[in-house]
Amino acid sequence: MRISKLFRLGHPLRGFLSLPIACAALTSAGCATVRPEQRAVLADPSMQFDAQTADQTALEHALDNREGSTGGGSVRGGGCGCN
Amino acid sequence: MRAARRAGAPIWLVLTWLFALVIAMPARAQVASLEVSSALFVEPSATSQLTVINPTATLAASPASWLTLRGNYEADIVSGASESLKGGRLSNVDVVTSATKFADTRQAVTGGFTVTRAATHLGASYTYGTEHDYRSNAFAVNAGADFLQKNTQIELSYGRGFDQVCTTAYRAADAPSSRLALDNSHGCFTSDVRRAARDISLDNLQVAWTQTWTPVFATQMVVSAALQHGFLGNPYRSVVIAPAGDQALENHPDNRGRGALGGRGKYYARGLRTTFSANVRLYRDTWAIWGQTYELDGERYLLPWLRVLLRGRYYTQTGALFWSDDYTGGEPATGPRGQYWSGDRELSPLSSYLVGMRGLATCEGHPGARVASLFTSLDVSLGFDLLKTDLHDFTLGGRKPDDTLALLWSLAVSGGF
Repeated sequence: MRISKLFRLGHPLRGFLSLPIACAALTSAGCATVRPEQRAVLADPSMQFDAQTADQTALEHALDNREGSTGGGSVRGGGCGCN
Repeated sequence: MRAARRAGAPIWLVLTWLFALVIAMPARAQVASLEVSSALFVEPSATSQLTVINPTATLAASPASWLTLRGNYEADIVSGASESLKGGRLSNVDVVTSATKFADTRQAVTGGFTVTRAATHLGASYTYGTEHDYRSNAFAVNAGADFLQKNTQIELSYGRGFDQVCTTAYRAADAPSSRLALDNSHGCFTSDVRRAARDISLDNLQVAWTQTWTPVFATQMVVSAALQHGFLGNPYRSVVIAPAGDQALENHPDNRGRGALGGRGKYYARGLRTTFSANVRLYRDTWAIWGQTYELDGERYLLPWLRVLLRGRYYTQTGALFWSDDYTGGEPATGPRGQYWSGDRELSPLSSYLVGMRGLATCEGHPGARVASLFTSLDVSLGFDLLKTDLHDFTLGGRKPDDTLALLWSLAVSGGF
């Protein structure tokens, strides 16, 4: 099958393939866009993707026991002032 | 309680050891942190009020710049009442007055470490949890790497749980409709022939990609998959399965595959001096539950040492394929759903709305000085959340439950040494 056929409107694999390609394109477009000296805001705790604050942990614990879904939550990462 | 005391001993040894390690170190910079927190969860109800107190303590220490050791203790002190029998509007059974009082304490201890290099980190942890009717052993490993001057971060994590739940001593060959629910936890995990321990295995795999795009904008995408196998019901819950009022232990499938995709972004609006976050999560599992979560929050420094967060959240899900509010009626509104039956409201179609806030005060010691002569920094946070659940289909004997409003308070104090 020609690759171009996969991207025709309505093809079942179109959405599935588009996502990683879009991610790769966006990542490469964002290569080193933020230099270490520009990270003052990103290093602030409010810009961290860390769910391990006490109130967030307690809330997720409560929601896990009251809803039928789980997973896909925040993990460590985001702004880092170190370098 | 005996089991609980046994579980308490190792964590205090770990915490004492870590604390001694911290005290023995020269006070050059922060080498350890201690966080003590507690949450209070209350679901007011005329018949089935629930109160959960959740104290936790976490001590982390860095004996070397590349190594962090962590010990954690947490407990869930649960008291209240719950309906142990589930019937729908046609079941003709007084479900509400079947609510029975209960009290239990879950305790869990975790020990772990993280090794950090210039652009990578590797961590592992082990958790042991115990309560009267449940035991949990779990390990987790995670590894992450930074790329492109730390603008891109990839993190992989895997967790495996080996749990056991106590049930009545039915044989696997017994018809599910003849199995009985537990009425109490006496005899669990002993040689009592009326009790049995059933295995549950849990596998969790997660991949996260975090990307910074501009000096004020970052995103994160998380994909997670989980497999559960074993006894996945509530051993105390019976379900009315026949018009004559016959009851049987809740009967769920032995396997459940779960997948979730989460996407979130953080943006700092310089004009408003506020960080805005948006979060979308999509969930699907092999029990045909389809869930969606939408979350927005804003966090702002009111003072240089005080920041306040406001959040709102909306969640909605469909019911499980085998969910029915009443297994005694006829199709399609009520009636049996194949070979399984459930009284679990988490498996019914529902929506929930949440609003909350958190205030966090930070006190940093001046260079060479300490806060209260002890800490290099001290954080105090106070949170409050209000959760309202709208059960679309779930009833107790045809009556909507009144315990659908929940209040959650949290208080945490964290100090760096």
